[in-house]
Amino acid sequence: MTRIDIERLTVSYGAAAVIDGLSVEIPAGCFFTLLGPSGCGKTTLLRTIAGFAQATGGVLRFDGADMTHVPAHERGIGMVFQDYALFPDKTVFDNVAYGLRARKIDKKTIATKVGAYLERVGMGAYAARYPAALSGGQRQRVALARALVVEPRVLLMDEPLSNLDAKLRIQIRESIADLQREVGITTVFVTHDQEEALAVSDRIALMNRGRIEQLGAPEEIYGRPLTAYVADFIGAANLIDVTLVEAANAQGQARVRLQDVELLVAANGQGVGNSTCIAARPEDLRLAEAEARAANGVRGVVERRRYLGNRVTYRVKLANGQPITVDEPGRSGGRREGQTVTVMFDPAATMLVAR
Amino acid sequence: MSRRAPTVWIVLSALALALLVVFLVWPLFNLLASSFATGKGTGQTGWARFFSDAKYLTAVGNTLILGVIVTASSTVIGVTLAYVTARFNFPLKALVAILPLTTLIVPEVIAAQTWLMLLGNNGIVTRSLGNYGIDLPSFYGWPGLIIVMTFIYYTYVYIGTLAAIKGFDAQLEEAAQSLGTSPGRSVLHVMIPVVMPAILASSLLVFTLVVGNFAVATLLGHKVLLLSVLTYITFNSEMGSDPIMQSTLASVSIFIVAVTLFVQRWVVGRKRHEITQGRGAAPTRLTGLRSALLAGAASLVVLISVLPLLTLVVGAFTLTRGPVMYWGQFSFASIERMLISAPDPLLNSLRFAATATAIGIGFSVIVSYLVVKKKNFLTPAIDYLAMLPLAISGTVLGIGLVITFNTGFLAMTGTASIIVAAYVIRRMPFGVRNASSTLYNIPSSIEEASISLGVPPVATFFKVVLPVMAPAIAAAAVITWTTTVAELSASVVVYSAGLETAPIQIFRLIDTGLTGRASAYGLALVVMIIAPIVVATRFFKIDLFQSR
Repeated sequence: MTRIDIERLTVSYGAAAVIDGLSVEIPAGCFFTLLGPSGCGKTTLLRTIAGFAQATGGVLRFDGADMTHVPAHERGIGMVFQDYALFPDKTVFDNVAYGLRARKIDKKTIATKVGAYLERVGMGAYAARYPAALSGGQRQRVALARALVVEPRVLLMDEPLSNLDAKLRIQIRESIADLQREVGITTVFVTHDQEEALAVSDRIALMNRGRIEQLGAPEEIYGRPLTAYVADFIGAANLIDVTLVEAANAQGQARVRLQDVELLVAANGQGVGNSTCIAARPEDLRLAEAEARAANGVRGVVERRRYLGNRVTYRVKLANGQPITVDEPGRSGGRREGQTVTVMFDPAATMLVAR
Repeated sequence: MSRRAPTVWIVLSALALALLVVFLVWPLFNLLASSFATGKGTGQTGWARFFSDAKYLTAVGNTLILGVIVTASSTVIGVTLAYVTARFNFPLKALVAILPLTTLIVPEVIAAQTWLMLLGNNGIVTRSLGNYGIDLPSFYGWPGLIIVMTFIYYTYVYIGTLAAIKGFDAQLEEAAQSLGTSPGRSVLHVMIPVVMPAILASSLLVFTLVVGNFAVATLLGHKVLLLSVLTYITFNSEMGSDPIMQSTLASVSIFIVAVTLFVQRWVVGRKRHEITQGRGAAPTRLTGLRSALLAGAASLVVLISVLPLLTLVVGAFTLTRGPVMYWGQFSFASIERMLISAPDPLLNSLRFAATATAIGIGFSVIVSYLVVKKKNFLTPAIDYLAMLPLAISGTVLGIGLVITFNTGFLAMTGTASIIVAAYVIRRMPFGVRNASSTLYNIPSSIEEASISLGVPPVATFFKVVLPVMAPAIAAAAVITWTTTVAELSASVVVYSAGLETAPIQIFRLIDTGLTGRASAYGLALVVMIIAPIVVATRFFKIDLFQSR
């Protein structure tokens, strides 16, 4: 198992820095996901770890050994690509055997190893086929076997599920996660799909403009977004501008003013004056009767009601015009459009975030 | 890539660029430079003589007029035929599909020759009509030039336009009709503007080909002065003494083609429309008189296009005595004589073309790989130079090579190497275009997959990229071979005695009126062209036209 250390890494194409002084430590055996929208630099970071993109500054280490300028083919990586990248003129067996043959391993060992890894990804019966005769999901399984059979130090995956349809995506995702835990290999996984990232990762680095916006376990990224960007990118979030009345108290709660009421929210580690924005997920909000002047509630009018089967989603407009989305579970949401309601904020699930 | 890898590709790029500079840029530069030199005898630069002698200006004028006429007639025939085949079904339509092949397998010199065998002073048609007292006007000069070139070049317009019409989304026409436009007007106002760039591009290509044409111009031009003929004549008579005028004329031809290509870029670039690949129109089945007329007209065009081939076969087996052909009396004498006493031109053609194809394809693959996959600061120049020969006529290239490699550290004149060099340079764009279009379709990720598995970049090229490219390389090799073995205009300038190739031999035999013997070589040449095509398409199932 290999630990990856990245220190002040910069990758520039011409004048534009795609990766901008980024530092991160990827622990040995970790399933580490780089998440972000297109153009955020996640693929460039992966390709720099692989050696396909050149760092213009900073250091990359595998287990302490400087890899920054080691050629890609000497880094001992396994790579899985979005478009599978199987060799079209070689059979499944020959594809998987390719890396072993390059290592001049004897034929018998190759046959055993290739067979074992094809079994592992459930493709044992397809050894003689050509890639063209396989479905997308099967191709990606073969590509996974091909990357793992050489027992690389790190496994790098560049949006491996993006070309698959929804159902297969979940299947292959689970296979990848299972296999990664079984082999215990340090894995860097690139995706723009938040659900995918939440489902499989030990740690997620959410990237924005060549930097890591927030790094943490899936629960932290979803449950404790530190910035408006993170809250908005992962899941849905109402981002509401507020005035800070009182910074974090002993319970880690802050007091903010929204229109004419004061709300208690999670201070979320934000310092004084750092933020005047709160993030609340639609499923963490509740609606109450307008007359019920409960604590931590703000009045508004139901502007739109959408029935979605297992829940009802409302758009509520506050007096200042701010729209708020509220998801209420249950099959029969009782509010009508035009009704005045109170939006209830859960102090534990409403986060002060940086804009 | 890794730190060491770029140096490999940059070294290769520098090498490729150096070769292109030595064998292409330098000769062209010499050509232009010597057109500005002052002649020893005359004390004038080539340009001063060019503008003071009416002969030269007439030749340029004639060339331009011929270019415009042939371009117009080729466009009319090519576009009409393309539209009719794309939109209608009629009897004998399958015949039209063989058209692209005819230009490929009938070299221009043979087309010119066989037309003469039919309509020349001693032609079959001329003489049989003469027997009935009907005197045809002379085929030499304008009529022959226009007719023969039109039937050689209209296929370029046909192929280009057909592809565009098939790619045109017929729903656009339906949209126009749903908005109240009549079917005829919707073709005029909706389809024509969209396919126009393709038509213009192929028409202008025809124009450049006419300007550069050597074989037909020389054999049929007769008293009509043409630039390419005059260039060749000047070259032949001035060889060794005063190469200034030939360089001037060659420069004029380069200038004309350069202007044409510039116009093409400008027009086509301005008028390009983004077309999402739509649903092509299903051809309408025609019946009755219209179908019979269409079938008749299309078959006539096809028949005229394949006529040279038929004439050639008959001519090769016809009894001859000197220039006289005894039509109707068959004999193996011409074939025997060629194979037994003078097979050298055929052997030369095989040797030179095979060498040139091997070198050319190797070079093209490397150049394409650099240009498509390993871009660096040198590759744009390589890309541009590799396509440059498309814009230079064979005669011009040949003269450039001769004046450059006559002496000096690379004295190739008089050896086979200069013929091979001319072949390689002239046909390089075909190979590069073929190889690049395949490479664009090979995702870079398979190379990265190989590298990630521990195989260094150069080894990866051989283990992964080359095998995937193999079918396309084979196709490119066949196309390069067929066009190389038929090459005349550059090789006839650079060859020396004893190194005649089949096309050169045919050209010389026709020039001396020995049509029967020329037919024998012509037949052998066509066989050399067709054999690899048949082998490739029949036995290896290679799609020769995939990247056209």
